[in-house]
Amino acid sequence: MSARTVATRAANWFTPAIAFARIAWLRTVLYLFVIVDMHAFVRDTRLKGEHPGLYQPLLLARMFDLPKPTVFNTTALYVVLIAACLVGASNYFPRIAGWIVAPAFTWWVLIGMSDGKVDHDHLALVIALWVLPTVKAGRRGRASYNDQARSESAGWVIRCVQICVIATYFLSAIAKLRSAGWALTWPGSAVLTWAIVRRPHPVGEWLLHHPWMLHVMQWVGITAEFLSPVILWLKGRWQLFGALFFLGFHAANTAILLIHFLPTVVCWLAFAPMERIVPWFQRRRASDSDAGEAEDQAEHGREAKEQAGA
Amino acid sequence: MTVVTDGQERAGDVRLGRVGRGVRVAVALVGIGLLINGSVRASDDAWPFGPMSQYAMSVPDDASITYTRISAQTDAGTTVDVPLNIEGAGVARAEIEARTGEIVKDPSLLQQVADGWAKKHPDKPKYVKLELIRDTTQLVKGRVVGPPTPAVLATWEVRR
Repeated sequence: MSARTVATRAANWFTPAIAFARIAWLRTVLYLFVIVDMHAFVRDTRLKGEHPGLYQPLLLARMFDLPKPTVFNTTALYVVLIAACLVGASNYFPRIAGWIVAPAFTWWVLIGMSDGKVDHDHLALVIALWVLPTVKAGRRGRASYNDQARSESAGWVIRCVQICVIATYFLSAIAKLRSAGWALTWPGSAVLTWAIVRRPHPVGEWLLHHPWMLHVMQWVGITAEFLSPVILWLKGRWQLFGALFFLGFHAANTAILLIHFLPTVVCWLAFAPMERIVPWFQRRRASDSDAGEAEDQAEHGREAKEQAGA
Repeated sequence: MTVVTDGQERAGDVRLGRVGRGVRVAVALVGIGLLINGSVRASDDAWPFGPMSQYAMSVPDDASITYTRISAQTDAGTTVDVPLNIEGAGVARAEIEARTGEIVKDPSLLQQVADGWAKKHPDKPKYVKLELIRDTTQLVKGRVVGPPTPAVLATWEVRR
């Protein structure tokens, strides 16, 4: 294989052809999720506008010389974000709305995390918001959810989100090596005991009496994190198993550490062939009506199925 | 040999031009580079390209585990632990822990906690004195032995 072929294959890996419908679903889910996030997770941004006492701007905020949070600018940010998210989620004018949401939400999170504590669950979501508006919409509004036309620009967006989801796990494993001076001491350490002592709750306190279980969890966790990039190359059912494993991993983390990582979890949808939702639904409905119509719908379904695994 | 792409190519696909594909691949590679740089050398300051360092430290089997809290005396004569979250006093425990050093040097930063509580809960007893307390739990061979030991780090008489 020549070097040129390798380069072409690598470039093609970043830009698979994927149906516009998946982008449409992702837009709706993520823009609505941003609204949830603003109220449930990064929810103290407006409060920081009222009490900027502990404000300590992060690198990006300093680079762009972003103003200190005030009641006025955080309230304006809130209103603009809600409006732009609702428009973007409708898939009408999704690119204009998207180009507003991306910088506005980045700023929102920058303020929310400018108090000495940074969370690591927002990478995939923030990057998703920045790449989504790069796709020129095919069909608009309701029709977009069944737009089976495939595009490489859509595929690039999906790939970027997938990479960021996986990077969240893989890079956590790297951080665990780095913090030990590039040594593998984390899985045998008392880190989960430490975490539970600081955030006590019934499940955790029971586990404190069985440190070996915590060590098993640490080994399983770091091994999975190291192997996570494999998921990018898995197909179909195997990829689904990989995704379900990590969703289970988050369920366990939520039970033991009270850490949910929902902003990353929601981005796993980039792996899901959501372009099949409407054909599936139509097929189900068609099976209730006459046979000729059903055949017609089944044809649509096959078309969508061919795109699975991208 | 023929180039095999992901999935089957179809006539209706919207392909990218040379420039469009080149720019996208370059942006993705730069992004990956920033992420690797962040994980290998940067700190949380580089968000969103910083290291994924939550719970990344190796805690030794004989560690002292510290837990910072704020204890308040109220004008009703009671002593309570300040609820360190957005709904409570409007400030999260992690923020207090991250800024402990500054609060020890300048305890007046605790005024904000009392103000936050009074504003959010106008009908509840007010805080008159705040103490920043560090509880220490000792590990022996990876197990918790005994209850935590408290130490007062800073005290602040609340201004009205």
